[in-house]
Amino acid sequence: MARHPVTDRAAFLTRRQHRALRVVALAALVLVWEAIARAGWVPVLFLPSPVGVLAEAAEMLRSGELLVHLAASLSRLLLGFAIGAALGVVVGVAVGFFAVAEAVGTPVIAATFPIPKIALLPLLILWLGLGEPSKIAVIALGVFFPMAINTFTGVRQADPLLVRAAVAFGARRWSIIRKVVLPSSLPMIFAGLRLGAGTALLLLVAAEMIAVESGIGFLVLHAGNLMQTTKLMVGIVVLSLLGVASHWSLGRLERLAIPWRAA
Amino acid sequence: MVRRIALVLILALMVSAPPTSAQDRPRVGILKLTSSAPIFVGVEKGFFKEFGVEPELVYFQAAAPIATALAAGQLDVAATGLTAATYNIVLGGETLWIVADKGREWPDHRLTAIVVHKDLHDAGVRSVADLRGKRIAVTQLGSTFHYQIGNILEKEGMSLKDVSIVPLQAMPAALEALKGKQVDAVILPQPFPGRAEADGFGRIIAWGGDLFPWQIATVFYSKKFAADRPRALNFMKGYVKSSRHYHDAVLSGRAGAAYDEVVAVTARYTGAPVPIIKLGLPYQDRSARLWVEDIGRQIAWWQRHGFIKSTIPLKDIIDTSFVEAAAKALGE
Repeated sequence: MARHPVTDRAAFLTRRQHRALRVVALAALVLVWEAIARAGWVPVLFLPSPVGVLAEAAEMLRSGELLVHLAASLSRLLLGFAIGAALGVVVGVAVGFFAVAEAVGTPVIAATFPIPKIALLPLLILWLGLGEPSKIAVIALGVFFPMAINTFTGVRQADPLLVRAAVAFGARRWSIIRKVVLPSSLPMIFAGLRLGAGTALLLLVAAEMIAVESGIGFLVLHAGNLMQTTKLMVGIVVLSLLGVASHWSLGRLERLAIPWRAA
Repeated sequence: MVRRIALVLILALMVSAPPTSAQDRPRVGILKLTSSAPIFVGVEKGFFKEFGVEPELVYFQAAAPIATALAAGQLDVAATGLTAATYNIVLGGETLWIVADKGREWPDHRLTAIVVHKDLHDAGVRSVADLRGKRIAVTQLGSTFHYQIGNILEKEGMSLKDVSIVPLQAMPAALEALKGKQVDAVILPQPFPGRAEADGFGRIIAWGGDLFPWQIATVFYSKKFAADRPRALNFMKGYVKSSRHYHDAVLSGRAGAAYDEVVAVTARYTGAPVPIIKLGLPYQDRSARLWVEDIGRQIAWWQRHGFIKSTIPLKDIIDTSFVEAAAKALGE
């Protein structure tokens, strides 16, 4: 019998991870940036070099300044995120389960959701004063909406077959909610948490630009006002790292909470 | 046919193109405030034109961006306040030159005031010493107002640590915060203190110039503009002439046609009403000479408080040769 080798003509569709390339690409970018700074093609005042930024960050860590700003920002972020997420889940579940809540809730959410939360900041300051409450409130509002909408969608999407199966096994109402509907809405809830995290970070920086004395957003604005561009870059790098950290930690949390989801 | 249309279009473009000017048009960055009066008057009365210079006025909303634009090469001349940002630009490796006076906080010249809320004033907050523990709004940290309130407090034996400085980024925002009692006091230039008193929610407790005179604003040259000495000198001659006219019309004798003219010109350029302009005409040296040692004091103060990393030798940032040469050329 003749042998006929078979070529996989769909081979071009498989995507390789290219793990090494990812790291190398990032490193190359940083190297190019350093080279540009050293060659003087862009003045160092306008584009600080990576080495300069690292040195400044080290100095700020040593003096404790960076930790003060980080602590202030993290406390606002975590508090606002927790409040917004908790309220969002509660409202989302209520609107998902109770027809009355849905009739009242969905128009209100639809009307208020498109308002850019940054635009609400001056109003919140008027209502809650210039202190911490207004900052935490704006972050909480920003997180609330994706959480409420995603939770509501997750609850509504619970597979009816699974619910009927639970009923068939004798589950009562509260058991169904706790053991079928809520767990099956967890993926949507976590998607909402991811969206909320991004929004929270954005609103944190905006909120810290008015009447605060510490925080990463404050650092960025303050350094910009003073033309301390290296410090400004440190602030931006820290914000980027905060974003990466929140993304990663939510990923781990998701794997813990939803072990049945395919990796 | 197509060729004919093309010819007509090309001719039209040629005719509509602006004629190249033999005049030198340096770009001058300023704020639309009363304190820019000498420059407005100089442009209006042709003092710059006499020396072959036609300044192109570029307006900004705040002082710090003007210094940045100058360092970036987008402006030839800047005429604005001295902030910590200015010094950080120089420390960051960019060159700019402080060349002439453009306004000082001076006794009996009402430019910047500390205003408290009326209720606090009624409750007994009447002097700087009473500001201990209060919230004071400024525009930005590192601004001229920040420097001023810091030094005023230190003169009273206090320091910035004894109060809470609240940066609100914009002057109207600071005034609104005072009105809404979200801060206890503000430090702002005219016309805001006047407006606070007129509207009834504020009381002026002190004028900056009476408590702490200093070189608040100067004229800067970009590295490139300063290197072109003839051009730079011509501009300075026009500026010194404008400064002398402003001084004689406004600062020495108050009444008269010249004073009214300066006020009218400034009102037109800034868009503010005449009574408001009259409130905030600042002091500057007749021949626009700099108060050099005060600039050294400022650098030391900012450094002491950690807003700039190291001091700057004055010779690396100040160049008085232009103003001296111009004053000499115009005769004393």
